[in-house]
Amino acid sequence: MDRYSFSLTTFAPNGKLLQIEHALAAVGNGSTSVGIKAANGVVVATEKKTGSSLIDVSSLEHMAMVCNSIGMVYSGMGPDFRVLVSSARKMAQRYIQTYKEDPPVRILVKELASIMQEFTQSGGVRPFGVSLLLAGVDDRGPNLYQVDPSGSYFPWKATAIGKNMINSKTFLEKRFNSDMELEDAVHTAILTLKEGIEGQMTEESIDIGVISTLPAAQSDGKAQPTFKRLSPAEIRDYLSNIA
Amino acid sequence: MSIMQYNGSAVVAMVGKNCVAIAADKRLGQRALTVDMDFQKVFPVTDRTYVGLPGLATDVKTLSDRFRMRVNLYRHREERVIEPETFANMVSQIMYERRFGPYFVEPVVAGLDKKNKPFICGMDLLGCLNYANDFVVSGTASDNLFGMCESLWEPDLEPEELFETISQCLLNAVDRDAVSGWGAVVHIITPDGVITRDLKCRMD
Amino acid sequence: MDAQFAVAGKDFAISVTDKTAASSIVKMKHNEDKTYELTPHTLMSVSGEPGDTSNFSEYIQGNVRLYGVRNLQELTPSETASFVRGELATALRSRRPYQVNMLVLGYDAKAGDASIYWIDYLAAMAKVPYAAHGYCGYFLYSVLDREYRPDITLEQGMDIIKKCMVALKTRFLIQYSDYTIKVVDSAGVRVVSMDDI
Repeated sequence: MDRYSFSLTTFAPNGKLLQIEHALAAVGNGSTSVGIKAANGVVVATEKKTGSSLIDVSSLEHMAMVCNSIGMVYSGMGPDFRVLVSSARKMAQRYIQTYKEDPPVRILVKELASIMQEFTQSGGVRPFGVSLLLAGVDDRGPNLYQVDPSGSYFPWKATAIGKNMINSKTFLEKRFNSDMELEDAVHTAILTLKEGIEGQMTEESIDIGVISTLPAAQSDGKAQPTFKRLSPAEIRDYLSNIA
Repeated sequence: MSIMQYNGSAVVAMVGKNCVAIAADKRLGQRALTVDMDFQKVFPVTDRTYVGLPGLATDVKTLSDRFRMRVNLYRHREERVIEPETFANMVSQIMYERRFGPYFVEPVVAGLDKKNKPFICGMDLLGCLNYANDFVVSGTASDNLFGMCESLWEPDLEPEELFETISQCLLNAVDRDAVSGWGAVVHIITPDGVITRDLKCRMD
Repeated sequence: MDAQFAVAGKDFAISVTDKTAASSIVKMKHNEDKTYELTPHTLMSVSGEPGDTSNFSEYIQGNVRLYGVRNLQELTPSETASFVRGELATALRSRRPYQVNMLVLGYDAKAGDASIYWIDYLAAMAKVPYAAHGYCGYFLYSVLDREYRPDITLEQGMDIIKKCMVALKTRFLIQYSDYTIKVVDSAGVRVVSMDDI
């Protein structure tokens, strides 16, 4: 056993924290997720990978709404994702309680990233085995962010994380253009996932979330941009269009 | 006599046409004894938002300092200037945090939002917000201010007319209140900037 | 029951406090100094609950001096006053607040002016040209309002102080036998004898 691989808070002589490298490896093993920022919204999509055909995939959730205007998806370890979702939701609600408005995406990303950073410097813990994609709309328009286990975060026009990240990003580099509309972006996201998917792609095997800059009516009567997971029926429509 | 009346104060805010005004007296006293005639009760929050803090003088100081800190933190963290309505919600939260040991101040917020729409609101010492699209009053002279504002305020006043209206309302309200007055200050917030004027008052 | 007041001109401030330490109806001491030198150019006079006054003042004095030692730079009078107010305001909402009224007098060498900060036991603070605390206020504000001018000299300031003492002697039920008079100016803090005014 390597002397520098046991303790998270010990630097290896080459200046790396090995546990973080390992966490990134865990992300690299996870199913691919893509995100694309369109002119009028953001789409995130992910592959729902299951070990067995007996699993009821309809109840698997690989994607979560943080608050009305922000949603997130991950590649890596599912249980770690759930922990981050619940703290992201708490942060968002705390912000809303103070200011009576949704947090800007960048603010939520920064806070979430600072939690993930904390887990690279504290004792007795391990880093999160996930990379996140956050999609949201605020005063500055549509936003797409990636957050890594180290606590680094990046704003993207389009990106991919997980197993097929490299190929997907190459694909996106060819397909992306900045005046792309949301509908186009959803198609591109599906095509990107399709490149790397093993076997048949069905409405059951992927998860898609969209948020448009257009306000959608809320239960409290106010209208604001709202993150929405597409239903299997909606995904089926998209899939039949590209087939 | 309640602790809200210990130092004496009067604050009023009014909406005009694409402008808002906020005004306050300048007295600091201990019950009937006047100690200072240049005590600040209205504080700039941003270039376009002001907050008035009538009530117990020690809490006026403590709160104005806390608001300044929170607004500065907000500006650094969010890289934008806080909007009046957002600030009002923040004030409300800070007040309610002390639900069982409140600050004895009833704040008034006035400002123009990013679309130059006037915003005013008042709240009680626990942070219960009270929105208005005409005027809000607060402090020991609030009853008198209500009467003055009800009779003098009208919709769509231009900045100079609004200045005249709010000044007359405040001056005549504090003249019939024993523990406020002794000088006053008026801020007119317009899209082009803030006009601040000191008013001469009866000093008896 | 303490006497405590002050007057400031452009470049000086005068502090007056009585010298009595009383317990109930008994005078325990006739030479008590109720002022504290916080920096070479700031003076704080105090009145209120006997234990609290010295406890709080010594705490403030210790910390203000520590700041000077640590930073090789003394706090200005306005900074000192804000610090005092902050500490008192924090204590105000604690289990047992200090019941202390204060006047912080100072000469700011950089700005070249003198100032008085009036701070009551609730930690309300005001920068004023002249000030008084307690019963003194009811007798002296009228005298100070009439006599004070922004451009008074030190001699004129002393005359006002004398008139204040006369007012207290004539109308106040309590009679003070002696006062501590201190002047703060560019030269620092000095005691002025009652015989010299």
